[in-house]
Amino acid sequence: MDKTLLVPVFLPLIVGFVLLFLPNKMKSVSRALTLIISVITFILGIKIFTGGISSFAWPILQLDNVNLELLLNVTPLGKFVLLFAMGFGLLIALYSLKSQATNDERRAPNIYYGAILITIGGSAGILLSNHLLFLLIFWEIVTTSLYLLITTGGRNSNFAATKSFAMIGASDAAFMLGVFMVWALSGTFVISDISLTTTSALTIIAFLLLMVAAITKAGAMPLHTWLPTSGEYAPASVMALLPAAIDKLLGIYLLVIIVREIFILESVALSIVLAIIGTATIIIAAMIAIVQHNIKKLLAYSAISQVGYMVLGIATMTPVGFAGAVFHMLNNAIYKCCLFLGAGAVEEQTGTAEMDELGGLGKKMPLTFVAFLIAALSVSGIPPFNGFVSKWMVYQGVIQMGAEQTSVAANLWPIWLIVAIFGSAITLAYSVKIIHSVFLSRLPSDLKDVKEVSLPMKIPCIILASLCVLFGVFYKQLLEWFIYPALNIEPGTAIFGTWESGLATILIAVGIGLGVLIWFVGKLSKMVRIVPTWTCGEVQTNEQMTVPGTHFYKTVSSMGGLKQLYAGQEKGHFDTYNQGGKIGLALTDFLRWLHSGVLPMYLTWVTLGLLVIIFIVCEIR
Amino acid sequence: MSIPLPVFIAIPLVTAFVLPIFGKKGKDAATVLANLATISLLVLAVASIGQSGVYEIGKWSIPLGINLVLDGLSSLLLLAISVVASAAMLFSARYMEQYTAKAKYLSLFLLMVAGMNGVVLSGDIFNLFVFLEIASLASYALVGFGCEHEELEASFKYMVLGSIGSIFILFAVALVYGNTGSLNMAYIGKAIRDSGLNAGLSFAMALFVVGFGLKAALMPFHAWLPDAHPSAPAPISAMLSGILIKTLGIYALARVVFNVFGVSVSIGWLLVVLGLLSMVAGAFLAIGQGDFKRLLAYSSISQIGYVVLGIGLGGLILARAGNNISTEQLGWASLAILGGLFHLVNHAVYKSLLFLTSGSVQMSTGTRQLKQMGGLAEKLPFTRATCTLASASIVGIPPFSGFWSKLILVVAAVQAGFYWIAAIIVFVSLCTLIMYLKVQRYVFLGELPENLQQIKENRGSMLVAMVFLACLCALMGLLVLVPCLKQSILEPAVKVLTDGLEYSAIVMKM
Repeated sequence: MDKTLLVPVFLPLIVGFVLLFLPNKMKSVSRALTLIISVITFILGIKIFTGGISSFAWPILQLDNVNLELLLNVTPLGKFVLLFAMGFGLLIALYSLKSQATNDERRAPNIYYGAILITIGGSAGILLSNHLLFLLIFWEIVTTSLYLLITTGGRNSNFAATKSFAMIGASDAAFMLGVFMVWALSGTFVISDISLTTTSALTIIAFLLLMVAAITKAGAMPLHTWLPTSGEYAPASVMALLPAAIDKLLGIYLLVIIVREIFILESVALSIVLAIIGTATIIIAAMIAIVQHNIKKLLAYSAISQVGYMVLGIATMTPVGFAGAVFHMLNNAIYKCCLFLGAGAVEEQTGTAEMDELGGLGKKMPLTFVAFLIAALSVSGIPPFNGFVSKWMVYQGVIQMGAEQTSVAANLWPIWLIVAIFGSAITLAYSVKIIHSVFLSRLPSDLKDVKEVSLPMKIPCIILASLCVLFGVFYKQLLEWFIYPALNIEPGTAIFGTWESGLATILIAVGIGLGVLIWFVGKLSKMVRIVPTWTCGEVQTNEQMTVPGTHFYKTVSSMGGLKQLYAGQEKGHFDTYNQGGKIGLALTDFLRWLHSGVLPMYLTWVTLGLLVIIFIVCEIR
Repeated sequence: MSIPLPVFIAIPLVTAFVLPIFGKKGKDAATVLANLATISLLVLAVASIGQSGVYEIGKWSIPLGINLVLDGLSSLLLLAISVVASAAMLFSARYMEQYTAKAKYLSLFLLMVAGMNGVVLSGDIFNLFVFLEIASLASYALVGFGCEHEELEASFKYMVLGSIGSIFILFAVALVYGNTGSLNMAYIGKAIRDSGLNAGLSFAMALFVVGFGLKAALMPFHAWLPDAHPSAPAPISAMLSGILIKTLGIYALARVVFNVFGVSVSIGWLLVVLGLLSMVAGAFLAIGQGDFKRLLAYSSISQIGYVVLGIGLGGLILARAGNNISTEQLGWASLAILGGLFHLVNHAVYKSLLFLTSGSVQMSTGTRQLKQMGGLAEKLPFTRATCTLASASIVGIPPFSGFWSKLILVVAAVQAGFYWIAAIIVFVSLCTLIMYLKVQRYVFLGELPENLQQIKENRGSMLVAMVFLACLCALMGLLVLVPCLKQSILEPAVKVLTDGLEYSAIVMKM
């Protein structure tokens, strides 16, 4: 019995709940408390990670012969994810010290801080729970805190918050049903005791229900649409904490748990389902991302697209695929968090996240630029950054699946591989677009006075960007310390195509150095001549001449066939939320039409009801 | 020391008749007196937990005389009635300043409470009907208290349908008397246990189900509720949705079906189906509403469905097993009934709180239309906090109370093998989530309209009432989580229903 396990779960939950109800004037108190508690939980995360296996049991409720016990267990995977989840919590708490979202009293800063703490505690609960029902409880708590956090995004965020809660709430309902089906089938809620083989229809349904919960939280298609909507309106720090980092960690954690621990996948169809979800998510979300003009919305689609790689890695059912998926989950959380924080810094200093109104900020915000650039190159899978390694491992997983397995999903491996690699190319394309239109390009005249953000907002970006480099270069050590133990994979058996990151990094660094040298030589020798553009006699100053990033890939969106799809997507025709809502409203309208308000009509219902009930109760045959 | 049972009826009844004397000038004194009455009822109800007993009026022993019976189920309901009544009465102190004739209002309010306490305590079926009529008549008048066109229409519809329900009940009472020769529930139960049901009694049972179903607003007998509940003044809406439909409808139905007639498989199924129908249709209708209180009213229909489902499921399991019931099946049945009754108590607290917050919003903004509000979170912080807490409970967000009661219902359904019922319960919770997200979105979030820039939070007694219920809302989960509370409050009530026809023997021994 290790009572310290209770602290990272309940300390933030309880304090967070209290903070929700504090008056707005006490925001400095909640700010200090949030920072202190996130430091404590991070330290505990380290302690749990380095410590051994321990557990804690606390009987909560005895229902008839069903024992609901709060079982907290340290598992290898759980403690690894916990360490990083607590780390992200701390970074966001630090970033929020100066962020505008928390200084505007109308945006309810106390709800913001309270919900951040609830998120931290809830995710610790999810990662430590060994009881499915309590996992579900903490899961719903995290969903609720996401809702509260999005509502702090100002006055237009109410729609985004409602949509997110409704969609994730629907997946939570699926989760609940799945949990109860697993319980009915296996007779226990304790995760480590469950092992169901997916041979019967019921087990397959249970698996699908749990899978829906996992991929909705992670943001994979087709249940992803809450993510871009909230990306547009929620504060950037909220997007960085939840959808970009913790929701990914939790969603993929759950997916790994259900695939590896709870179920033994025997059904061929299920790995095809996972592979299709994975590849479709990669390619479709990336295609939508390249035509976006709002940084946060583009990043949200990018976040969706990256989930595809993780799902695909898990779908391969190979050790290297799993390791790649989990490593990509971690890497993606790191660089996507960094990108959102960078976007938040830009939005904070300029007041906008629309690419059309931005440009040339590289010189004004150099540190943010460098951090953003590194993260953007990581997401595109450029060596030697971390994104490259994990994508490379997922590709290997796909190849290995094709080589070793004989199922239909395995025979289709070239399709998965090609789509995944093509998706990576599109990722590079939209990264270039965002870097160009925000940081390069030409500085608009109204942004002349923009300054770099303050220190507490810079530090998280710098830490995350350095992690991108470190995890990419020293990937072997990292895999051996973190990923292989977490997944119980023998080191050396998994990855077969290694690359010498050290030498390559030196060569790349030398190449960049040479490039810089050439640039300087060119600049010093004054061989570049800057003159006004000649436009047939009309005077155009150089200030007016820009290459807007928003014009990139316009040809893609006007291509035949794609054009209609893009238009439909823009109108929300492919949005599960909109379509589900339409069906629900049609039913509601029918029922409302029945309730005409005419008394005789109601009396008729009573009479009919009476007749039916007499038939039933008197058992007239 | 045991509490003399008539006190529960006498206090509100006597106060109700004293109050009109105060007239217009003494309305503050009348308010204080009425609040004292409800609070003393709350204290008495808390003191009565764990007690049981029979009181014979005028020392006439049954079956000659009339008796009052206090058992686990009655004391659970007494507690719920007095909690909601105290909060609503406290809220009225300030809220009803908008209306004239406050003393009459208070008097009617207490009459309704007296009627409900009477229904819950009565051991005599005809007296149950009399108290039910007292409470109903008071509520017809209270629904139309505003005397506006819409309110009077709602009151009229409510009265017509309510009277039909009462007539069915009265007719059924007459049939029962004709067939068993007794009006005392214990004696009727004994007669039915000894000689079984004949055609006349079965018909009476059907009439009881329809009559109490009308009072409980089960689909398809619900049509009066969405008009009546929104039209009443907010504290009365809280009373009606919070407790009246449960006392006059669910309690009476459960008492008659389980303890007097004995539950059969067909009745069990009937209750389950009525419950499910109310849950699903009520939820869909609620989502489509644009009027704050109307949405809450439809949501009440949906939530009542849960209660009836839980009780019906328990009855179904009991009836299927018959006399040689195994302890396992008894456990399932108890669990289902526990879920239903716990949901009843939870719903009493959070729905009355939601209606009170809707009243606070209406008083500040002057409207009930969701689309005409927005951004009230900054202006009405306390109303927002309490409303959000109540919404979190009703939606079933852990660790609030609604989650536990739905969880118990789902566990019971899965254990008894009704997976599809579990699926419907979860689906309806999702619909509930969507309707309360709608409330949050349109009322408290978003843009504050121009004409509402100047509004202020309602303080004073209204705030105290809301905060009191909100604290209860946050703590209600403890009723099942803390074993000693569960054993002293909920389990005796469950046992009354699972004992079924043993009721008569238990009452006669007391």
